[in-house]
This record gives sequence, C-alpha cells and structure tokens, in this order.
Amino acid sequence: MTQGVISGGWQFVWMAYGITATAFIVYGVSLFVRLRGATTP
Amino acid sequence: MRKGTIFIALGTALLLFGSYQGLFVAPAEQYMGDVQRIMYVHVPTAWNWMLSVLFALWCAVAFLFRNNMKWDSRLEAGLEVSTLLAFLLCCQGSIWARPTWGVWWDWDPRLTTTAVLLFATIGILALRSAVQEPVKRAIWSSVATIIAAVDLPIVYYSVKWWNSLHQQQSTPQTVSSAFHLPLRVNAFGVLFLMIGFIMLRTRIAAARLERELAGPPVRIGEEAGELA
Repeated sequence: MTQGVISGGWQFVWMAYGITATAFIVYGVSLFVRLRGATTP
Repeated sequence: MRKGTIFIALGTALLLFGSYQGLFVAPAEQYMGDVQRIMYVHVPTAWNWMLSVLFALWCAVAFLFRNNMKWDSRLEAGLEVSTLLAFLLCCQGSIWARPTWGVWWDWDPRLTTTAVLLFATIGILALRSAVQEPVKRAIWSSVATIIAAVDLPIVYYSVKWWNSLHQQQSTPQTVSSAFHLPLRVNAFGVLFLMIGFIMLRTRIAAARLERELAGPPVRIGEEAGELA
C-alpha cells in the first residue's frame, strides 16, 4: 500500500468471483437434482 | 423449457457479461484499485438478498392471512435462497475487508446485523426440517420469518445510524458513471438467477408438501384388509 492507495489485490478479486460462481453453480445443480427426485413418482 | 430455467439461463448470461465488463473493461478505482471490482458482485448480491428477505416476509404474511399452503412453499424457497445470498454476501464482504480494512471480519453494525439475519434464516430452515406436521410448520416458520425480518431495516440503515467501518450504500448515484454498466447488468443477473432459483425451489417444496398431505403409500390389498 502506498499513500492510501491499494495496489494489487487481484487474488482477492478472483477469490470473491470464484466463491460466488461456485456457490451459484453448486446450488443451481442441487436444485435440478432435487427437483428431479421430488417430481419423479 | 420451464420459466425457472429460462430465468436461470438469462441470469447466467447477464452475470457472465456483467462480470466480464467489471473484471476487464471497467477502470480500476482511484484509491482501492482492482480490489474495487469485488463491488460488481458484492453490491448486486446485497440488493437481491434484501429483496429475497422481503419476498420471504411477503410469503409469511400472505400465508397467515390467506391460509393457503402455496405461500408456505414459496416461503421455504425464499428462505433458502436468502440464506444462500446472505452467506455469499458475508464471504464477499470478508474478502473485500481483508485488503481494504486489514481484517477478514469486524463486528461492525452492518456486518453483525447481516450475520444475525443469516443465522436467523438458517434457524428457521432448521425449524422447518424438525417439524413434521405441515400446517404447524407453516405457521411457526411464518411467525419466525416476520420476527427475523425486523432486522432487515436495521441492516439497511446501520451505515447511516452508526459511524462504522462499512461504507455508505453503493448505488449508481454514489459511484462513478464508469462503474454503472457492470453494476447494473450484474444486479439484473443476480435478480433473474434468484427468481429462477426461487421458482425451482418452490416446485420442490410443493412436491414434498403434496406427498406429505397424501400420506404414506398404501400397498394394493392392504387397504381392503387382505394382508391383515
């Protein structure tokens, strides 16, 4: 950090986007799997 | 293709486009640099999390007034999706906090009240899975949701009421116009994704409720007393 300016930090950006994408994908897939199980007689 | 799947596909496309704009096209912020790009997922998640809590509150009130179990299925969906968004919100906020505040977590009013609501919705979902009787489960979780939702205005106004670490709300009025496009596109992306998730989850809850209300399966011949 220099004079109140944050330099770098891409690893935090990728971490935030990665967690968001993973959570949405895992939850979305779980919904389709659960829906198939729930609606199959 | 079902409506829920269409919303999920549309939301995914918008999120991909908005995130591309936020990561590679929008300029870095003057002081926070590239770390500010986290805002393009964090702020849309926050807005839509608040909407999902309001949706759950609406379903809870509607169930208590209408006494129609379709509102209970929608409530279950709203609670689960709001828990997912609150969890993501806390993770993204924590990742943002490390390079900007120097800590992963701080018991700041905004963070604390958000965490309280996250644990409240987890608690209500746990309550729902513990209660077997559908009507009792619907009434108890509706009342609990209304009580938990009291925390939402506190979350929203916490940054205005208390002078704390968390900055004021980021809106198109408070950020540079160079950041508007990814912020708005991702906001609609998360919104459509949330709507799609809620629609699919409602169908799962409704199917389970239908099975519960139908009772246990009866074997052929058992009903007529042949096996007795």
